[in-house]
Amino acid sequence: MQPVDAIRAVLAQYPGAFIVSSCGFVSRDLYNADDRPESFYLVGSMGMALPVALGMAIARPTVDVVALDGDGAALMNLGAMAMVGAWKPRNLTHVVLDNGVHESTGGQKAVGVDFPAAARAAGYASASSVSRAELITRATLGPTFLRLEVDRRVGPPGRRVQHRPEHLVERVMSQLRERA
Amino acid sequence: MDFSNLVPPMRADDIAADPNVADRRHGRLVAGRIFSLLLRHGYRGYSGVPCSWLKHFFALLEDQSLGSDVLYVPAVREDSAMAVAAGLHLAGIKSCVLMQNSGLGNALNVLTSLSLIYRIPAFLIISWRGGTGTDAVEHDVMGANLIALLDALGLRHHVLDLEKPESAVLSCLTDIDETGSPSALLVSREF
Repeated sequence: MQPVDAIRAVLAQYPGAFIVSSCGFVSRDLYNADDRPESFYLVGSMGMALPVALGMAIARPTVDVVALDGDGAALMNLGAMAMVGAWKPRNLTHVVLDNGVHESTGGQKAVGVDFPAAARAAGYASASSVSRAELITRATLGPTFLRLEVDRRVGPPGRRVQHRPEHLVERVMSQLRERA
Repeated sequence: MDFSNLVPPMRADDIAADPNVADRRHGRLVAGRIFSLLLRHGYRGYSGVPCSWLKHFFALLEDQSLGSDVLYVPAVREDSAMAVAAGLHLAGIKSCVLMQNSGLGNALNVLTSLSLIYRIPAFLIISWRGGTGTDAVEHDVMGANLIALLDALGLRHHVLDLEKPESAVLSCLTDIDETGSPSALLVSREF
């Protein structure tokens, strides 16, 4: 499965969800797939998509929140998964696009881990691994972990996120206020 | 919120059993005054990593009687604490992050590439270990350079005066209003 197909399938399963995406190609792929006002793209802060999403999910337990991570970024902050497991927000889904490499920086090998096992050990309510976009489904009760086994991309990545970071803040805050 | 119920009255037996109880009570009162002021200014979200110099703050945060008015999210690292606070802020909850100054090192990337770039504020409470050169050796370098580091990042900061704790807190709150960036309350000694 190509990363963009994985992201489109996630968007289809989580319509209206607030998505916090990891820096690098993950944010660029989400931005180029569908630039929704509920998406909050991190352009730096590797490893921080999950804790930002956790804060959002805790603050707004009635809205769906998705952390869209890469395997390298998730490995950089495995500890944040323990924070998720400790709080257990039912509305949080942690998606990891796992291609086994740091693709944004040229494809260097990532260290790797059994992500679903790590998520279960951390205390997520469920954890699964999927290798085909049509098999992506949403769990009813989170926190949910979803490893999406993606292939190296065919073709170049899309353009960088064009919004100013401060605009992304205003945009997502405004959306969250409307859902209050 | 009234903190008098969180600070139990001292009894003669308590003092006899533990001569430090008066100091602890004073410390908790100072932390309680700061906490009350933050709550009055709408700070409902808290995250952080403990320091022994911040123990009175964490004792208040861990107090179950606070109820749902306060969201305290314990963090594994200071950068993750900053990120949780950012997520709370995006959802409209003003947030405070507590850490030791050694943890500021862990938080540097999030400060520079999230807080300052996206202009996401946070009220920082940072213990200033090693500031006097008489602390444990691991605090020497960060203790001597904390102010220079905060200044280099353009982060405003104010040292807590234990006799009038509200003063520096109000200065930090003013900074946050003016800049939209984090401002740091520095706790320069154990209390």
